[in-house]
Amino acid sequence: MKKPESEIPERWEAQLRKGAIEMAALAALWGGRLYGLEIIRFLECHSQLVLAEGTIYPILNRLKAEGSLTSEWVEAEAGHPRKYYSLTPAGEERARQMVAAWVEFSRGLGKLIEPVLEGEEARK
Amino acid sequence: MNELAEQKVNQYLAELGSNLRPVPLAEREEVLREIAAHIRDCSEEGGSSIETVLDRLGSPQELAAQYRTDTLIRKATGSFSPLLLLRAAGRLATKSAAGFAIFLCGFIGYLAGAGFIITALLKPFLPRLIGLWVGPHAFTFGLWVHGSGGFGIGWYTADQAAASVHEVLGLWYILVALTLGGIFLYLTTLATRHLIRAFTRGRNQASLHWRQTLGTSQLL
Repeated sequence: MKKPESEIPERWEAQLRKGAIEMAALAALWGGRLYGLEIIRFLECHSQLVLAEGTIYPILNRLKAEGSLTSEWVEAEAGHPRKYYSLTPAGEERARQMVAAWVEFSRGLGKLIEPVLEGEEARK
Repeated sequence: MNELAEQKVNQYLAELGSNLRPVPLAEREEVLREIAAHIRDCSEEGGSSIETVLDRLGSPQELAAQYRTDTLIRKATGSFSPLLLLRAAGRLATKSAAGFAIFLCGFIGYLAGAGFIITALLKPFLPRLIGLWVGPHAFTFGLWVHGSGGFGIGWYTADQAAASVHEVLGLWYILVALTLGGIFLYLTTLATRHLIRAFTRGRNQASLHWRQTLGTSQLL
């Protein structure tokens, strides 16, 4: 039997993550240039933004096309070159704006969901 | 990497490449190089089989589709081609309600513009059916068939007064309809371009905020 009521939160959670990835990718590059796989590993370490690894590459490509990132091919000791991304000034500005919007948004939501959290604790 | 694994990787990259055909050549080659480097790095990390590595990347069709959507939107927002703009809006329409609204706006606008131009072109052949029809309870710009009503912009009531509805523009209709059609096409193009841009790029705080809330920014 299908249980649609349990599918909705799952899908919602997936969308929530997808929406955050762009900001997370910009934030990952705040400390300096990284290549795609490093960004993926960074996101895995510092967040629960577990994603199909492929999805990060089109996002990086788009951020570059929009001028938020630049890229360069760097020859590694491993023997093959890797594509490193770094933030442009426009990208830094964008990251700042996104983070500010995110903080403001989650602060507002935090207040809104307080009664739900308190209700949960009272039940325990 | 053994031979079988290498074969699988090559097959993956070939399929990705052929699905990336609408993407400009230089960009396509760079994507393939980057994904190839990713696969190589992952398999050298050890711990996972080549199947797992490719699985986690997603299917080449899915991966290519994300690049294609971005390319289409980039091309469309830089052009004045109604076809390209409608295609990009159509792509957005499959992703969210707001995207569908953009598509609908573009579609209706172009339909109206094209409709005016078509009536202008038909006027010399159907002079007694097409025009600006005015009467006691009617004002219709477009096609009017006595007794059965009109098809165009305006309003009418299908009562006995329909008999007294008459056409006022004559051949001037052609000029007026062409101008109106042109204005519709032009404004629809500008509006659709603007909406696609605003929708896909966080130009200002408000749209950024809204996109994050809906979780749509990545989907595009």
